[in-house]
Amino acid sequence: MERAFYPLVYFLIFPGFLFTSIIGLLASWVDRKVTARVQWRVGPPWYQPFVDILKLMGKETIVPAGHKASFFLLAPLLGLIGVTLVSTILWVLNLNPGSSFVGDLVVILYLFTLPSLAVIIGGAASKNPLGALGASREMKLVLGYELPFLIAIFTVVVKIGSILFQDILGFQQINGIMLRHPSGIIAFVVAIICTQAKLTMVPFDIPEAEQEILSGPFVEYSGAPLAVYKLTRAMMLFTLPVFLITVFWGGLQFSGWDLLWTVLKYVALLVIIILIKNTNPRLRIDQAMRFLWGPVTVLAILGMVLAVVGL
Amino acid sequence: MNSLLWPIVVPAVAGFLCLLIPRRVRVVREVLALVATVWTFVVAIQIFRGGEYFLQQDWLQFGSFAVAFDLRAYQFSSFVLMFIGFFGLVVASYSAAYMAKSDVGKRYYTYLLWTVAAASGVVLSDNLMILLMFWEIATILFYLLVTLGGTKQSSAAARKSFTILGFSDCALLLGIVFLWAIGGSLSISHLSVKLGSGFAYITFILCAVGALAKAGAWPVHSWVPAAAEGAPTPVMAFLPASLDKLLGIYLLARLSLDLFIMDRAMGLVLMILGAITIIFAVMMALVQHDLKKLLSFHAVSQVGYMVLGIGTGVPIGIMGGLFHMVNNAIYKTCLFLSAGAVEKRAKTTDLVKLGGLASAMPVTFGVTVIASLSISGVPPFNGFFSKWLIYQSLVSIQQPIFLIAAMFGSALTLASFIKVLYSVFWGERPKKLHGIKEVGFLMAWPMVALALLCVLFGFAAQYPLQKFIGPVVGFNFEGVPEKVSMVNALWSPTLATALMIVGLMVGLIIYLLGRVGRRREARAFIGGEVLDTDQTRVAGTGFYDTIRNLSGFRGVYNDADKGVFDPYFLGGKLGAKLVRALQDLHDGVLSSYLSWSLIGLGILLFLMMM
Repeated sequence: MERAFYPLVYFLIFPGFLFTSIIGLLASWVDRKVTARVQWRVGPPWYQPFVDILKLMGKETIVPAGHKASFFLLAPLLGLIGVTLVSTILWVLNLNPGSSFVGDLVVILYLFTLPSLAVIIGGAASKNPLGALGASREMKLVLGYELPFLIAIFTVVVKIGSILFQDILGFQQINGIMLRHPSGIIAFVVAIICTQAKLTMVPFDIPEAEQEILSGPFVEYSGAPLAVYKLTRAMMLFTLPVFLITVFWGGLQFSGWDLLWTVLKYVALLVIIILIKNTNPRLRIDQAMRFLWGPVTVLAILGMVLAVVGL
Repeated sequence: MNSLLWPIVVPAVAGFLCLLIPRRVRVVREVLALVATVWTFVVAIQIFRGGEYFLQQDWLQFGSFAVAFDLRAYQFSSFVLMFIGFFGLVVASYSAAYMAKSDVGKRYYTYLLWTVAAASGVVLSDNLMILLMFWEIATILFYLLVTLGGTKQSSAAARKSFTILGFSDCALLLGIVFLWAIGGSLSISHLSVKLGSGFAYITFILCAVGALAKAGAWPVHSWVPAAAEGAPTPVMAFLPASLDKLLGIYLLARLSLDLFIMDRAMGLVLMILGAITIIFAVMMALVQHDLKKLLSFHAVSQVGYMVLGIGTGVPIGIMGGLFHMVNNAIYKTCLFLSAGAVEKRAKTTDLVKLGGLASAMPVTFGVTVIASLSISGVPPFNGFFSKWLIYQSLVSIQQPIFLIAAMFGSALTLASFIKVLYSVFWGERPKKLHGIKEVGFLMAWPMVALALLCVLFGFAAQYPLQKFIGPVVGFNFEGVPEKVSMVNALWSPTLATALMIVGLMVGLIIYLLGRVGRRREARAFIGGEVLDTDQTRVAGTGFYDTIRNLSGFRGVYNDADKGVFDPYFLGGKLGAKLVRALQDLHDGVLSSYLSWSLIGLGILLFLMMM
């Protein structure tokens, strides 16, 4: 009983679904507030994202006519499952570095694609040409960032020689964080760019492109399924920086002053992401792919080469 | 009779009987084929459970070149045998419905059953010449099966496949003779050659060419997509998707586990071939417009993972490669069978002409989704697990480049299957395809069974690993593991699946609170326009044109379309040049022919004098 109980609590309450969604929604408020201040607006109050979700929950669900809409409705849940599981794994391992829970780095990388996959499936199953267009763009974007992202993450693996999180965290505790090495810094920069694309934030909000294709994959969504997408996205905004901190920046610590330091690390990453979002125009999909497979990948390979020679 | 002969003799005899049964009593033939394959499957299970069996029978003897009819069933060969039986059964059942209206049914079942017999012979034989004999029979049967497609393309496809496979089988024959020269024996269980000398390397490469061509790895892969253009779909599901993979990778694994003592250099060669196969074939698959051809490129691409896994030379990697061989056979067969179901109902596999079949063919759709997620390695399905094992081995031998290639290849695979799912099942249905129905039970159950296996081998992957694959490489798990935890890797499929189901429930509760049950249907919103659905249909074939048009890729794709990476095409070109040179010698003048003859006679005489 006990063996089944703990994972369930982890997954549902802390640090899984409930915790991640609350912090994620707060993070999305930070995003909106900072964006508003950059644009000389006042911005919403802190509870706005929560109210938005509640309101969507109360709205009617409309599905495209003429089919059973099963995958149309299941797709949002896929993303929610993925991000919740990733967040649970990351936090359990950070809270208790010696433990083994569910999976290693490869597992996390795979689970991280589930939210994107959810958007793609939702868009493709929405019976709308704009949705299909958005889905194909999202898929191409995934291909674009996945290559440099993998190279950047495995730069760390080359350095550490293991893909277990306890080793990654342990190594950084003993030998200092990855950001002390030139290769680590380069990989970190690449990973931040890819994070921006993973979150489909400007300049990579090509799949949605509200002004052009009416937010693409989401065009047919309304009510609770749309709320789940919004929630998933907010949770990603929380989970992805935590992942980067775990891999590159020594992980999360919770004792005494370290707790403040952990919060600062996260806020710093969040602000970087928001600032990139607010100071760039949207790319076209071919430009984005050329950028990600060109300069970004070359940079990532450079980092990998540095790691192989021991820097 | 020794029980090892049953899986060879029963299907072979049943095949003969199929030839004798008159064309009209189709049912008898189908029942006979089903009974024979069920029998083979059951016998194979018995052999697997029985442990190690031998059959020794001297046959031909030329000095130490002893071709003995030796059969041996042990852990590895009998588990492959079991899957051969299983796929035979699945395809035979499916074909009963698929080939119902076809007038080549008689020969079809004969060839099918003989193929089962030949494949069983390959995995059971303990003598290299016997192995080669069965191997060659399987190649010829594949040629015959492809020609049953009955179109002009079929015979071209059959010719191409036979040329490439025949050529590589020659290499295998040469390799076996060399192996005999080095090792002094033809018995597989007695040979163990150390790599080191140049001659041993050449021998290994020659043997490996045979195995890799059968499995369909780059650069000897091009017969697979060619065959897809002409062969009946169940044939594709049966041979290139499952049996040829089992045989090719079985031989490759035997080569690197038993026949040769591998070293790092050859392992590296295999790994490079594997990585190129993954990326090259999946990039080709991305831009295909035909469902069968697209699937055939994936049949090539997935071999890369197996070769990569075996090339690592560490137990986890080999285990991953072998497990991937099984998993690939399962989901690829499932995919080809569902493509066949679509073809049967829609009469086309052209992705442009398909669309929106999800509600019309829910079973086919469901299994295709599961198989697509498996092949793309989405956790917790089976493809994820075997790929994950291969990744672990690559981490443990510190090969990040191959690791990235493999993982990126899996993202590309996902992209390609999103295109398939969209173009065939989602999207708007063309008006021509209205009124389409789901396939019947005989065609549906094989697909469903395979899809269930995909799920089962995913969330409970420890069991097949423990029962079938671990023992082959001497890797024993302690007790019944609830998670697979190795020195530097961790994945608990059962716990993860359980948590995912909990997550799904959370989502469903959210939907319940949001009253999703009481949803309203509305027309798709396209900027407020009300348009004809055939007009607004977006075909999935254009999904990745962006990639095709990226500056670095356009040239490569154009070259690939011209056949620059196809040894058959290149060999054909070279051959044509040679023939033209020889043609020029034929000037039709008697005196020049006479002088050629005289020169030849002179050379012969000279040689005989020596």
